Amino acid sequence: VPSWWGFCIWGLVLAEAGLAVGVLFSQSGPYAALGREGYAGAMTAIAEVNEQQGLRITAEVRDPQGATERYAPLARDIFANTGARHIVGCTTSWSRKEVIPVLEKSGTLLWYPCPYEGFECNEQVIYLGACPNQHVLPLLGFIIPRFGGNGYLVGSNYIWGWETSRIAREIIEHSGGEVAGERFVPLGDTDIARLIEEIRIKQPDFILNTLIGPSCYAFLRAYHELGERDPNFAPDVRPIVSCNFAEAEATALGAVVTGQYVIAPYFETLDTDANRRFLAVARRLNTQQTDHSAFFAQAYAAVHMLAAAIARAGTDAPEAVRAAAMEADVLSPFGPLALDRATNHAVLTPRIGRADGRGGFEIVSESATSIMPDPYLAHSALAIGSANEARTPYLRVIK
Amino acid sequence: MTRTHSTPNFEGGRALILHRPHDVVEATARQLRQIGIHPEAAWPDMPSRAFDVLFYDADMGDDTQFPWSPGSAPMPAIALIGSEAPGRLAWAIRQGADAHLLKPIGSGGVYSALVIAFDAFARRAKMTAALEGLQSRMGQRQVIAEATACLMVQSNISADKAYDELRRDAMAQRVTIEEMAERIVARLRTAHVSNRA
Repeated sequence: VPSWWGFCIWGLVLAEAGLAVGVLFSQSGPYAALGREGYAGAMTAIAEVNEQQGLRITAEVRDPQGATERYAPLARDIFANTGARHIVGCTTSWSRKEVIPVLEKSGTLLWYPCPYEGFECNEQVIYLGACPNQHVLPLLGFIIPRFGGNGYLVGSNYIWGWETSRIAREIIEHSGGEVAGERFVPLGDTDIARLIEEIRIKQPDFILNTLIGPSCYAFLRAYHELGERDPNFAPDVRPIVSCNFAEAEATALGAVVTGQYVIAPYFETLDTDANRRFLAVARRLNTQQTDHSAFFAQAYAAVHMLAAAIARAGTDAPEAVRAAAMEADVLSPFGPLALDRATNHAVLTPRIGRADGRGGFEIVSESATSIMPDPYLAHSALAIGSANEARTPYLRVIK
Repeated sequence: MTRTHSTPNFEGGRALILHRPHDVVEATARQLRQIGIHPEAAWPDMPSRAFDVLFYDADMGDDTQFPWSPGSAPMPAIALIGSEAPGRLAWAIRQGADAHLLKPIGSGGVYSALVIAFDAFARRAKMTAALEGLQSRMGQRQVIAEATACLMVQSNISADKAYDELRRDAMAQRVTIEEMAERIVARLRTAHVSNRA
């Protein structure tokens, strides 16, 4: 506990100069659309914090431009040259794994706001996005009973696609279904004609899409064309389902994504006071941003949780801030946000949205209760079935 | 990629961390709890309860801590290595490390070590069982020869016929041929001893 005098002096220093916090998102490169969401969400929250009395944050922005090898040097630069001891950032798991050794060496914290494939609990990372028992498991729990158990798996060729697909394969096979095919596309590659042809021949009940960036958009466009030619591939017959897709991407693609399903803790269409309040603030502080995705909302929530924890701890010392974050009450755009002490992961309520073709998602289902993170899938039954559904009532249909 | 690797699950398992009180124990225990395993620490003596996996200190450990002979731990064993001095590594190997973790223990590594150690232990157990089977069958080949010889002498028949008889008897009594041979030899030995008496 800092002394009263120390606290006052520290408070004065902050009021003068502002407390440096790193913001590390790629605003160009193959997953720029998601990186820009994270960047905008973090910056909006920093602007909001700075409007209020007390803590002033100076954003130390670095842009790795989607190049994995730039993340570690930029993180090192933030910590060495700005005095910051926290970074809000990273979209891909690759980039997070690059930054972790820097965090461990300097004892600093990364506030990671994106869904990822699990099997990690680093003490220097606060995980605010969903892990598999909060995304792919409840997503398949919704899709398999409605569309059938045979899935086709397509992803970007790196750990997120590989591992999410592997978990999906296990769930599908344990649920009596079959994997009709599994393909991985190099990051940025848009040559997907062969994929579409294979899907046309195999006629899976649904397609799990873990592609990111241009590959994802090319795939969604081509599948939409297939559905136009052949109603057997319309989204209400064989939908594409995703765990990582943002409103801004849906807006850019328009009618192409109509009827596709996405799981996320947040959708802009969420009908709650917390969301209305958030959207009003976000639209006032950032007039450029027309769409607000889960990636935006989670980065926004990450900054607020960091600010609340710093205020509670009376210091930005990482260990004290991490301990305070476990106690902090933060009202996020998607409801009260709490961390699981054992894993540093957020407790989340997944929602399933169906794309309306105008950039929005109609929320068709949401978890009846919040779901504790289970990053090692130690306590989660990887099967969807009538018996299992009774045991794990993941989702309540609301429409 | 079409192979299925099922997600290793350790939920409800019990782990023993044989290490003096230290940050290493707390860091390992924290990771184990995240994975669904109940950790228990002890030093220097092993509790007599059963565990599903053992983490043992390669720095200060010694053979007297274990109730089994070196290298034959009846559960997956993971060495916690601080000093990489060859002498300590040799001891860790002699104890039969199925996997290892380097100190200091941070917030990763335990899951990988568990997955690798459980796989290595399963292979070790399978190989030990196969080896014991082979050794016992090699030992029993001598018994078969002895029983065949006994039958040849007893009934004055050829080796082939004696072996056929042995095989038939084994089938009739639903035992292995080795076991039938044991019975014949034992019977004749008893008879021999009682004749002499």
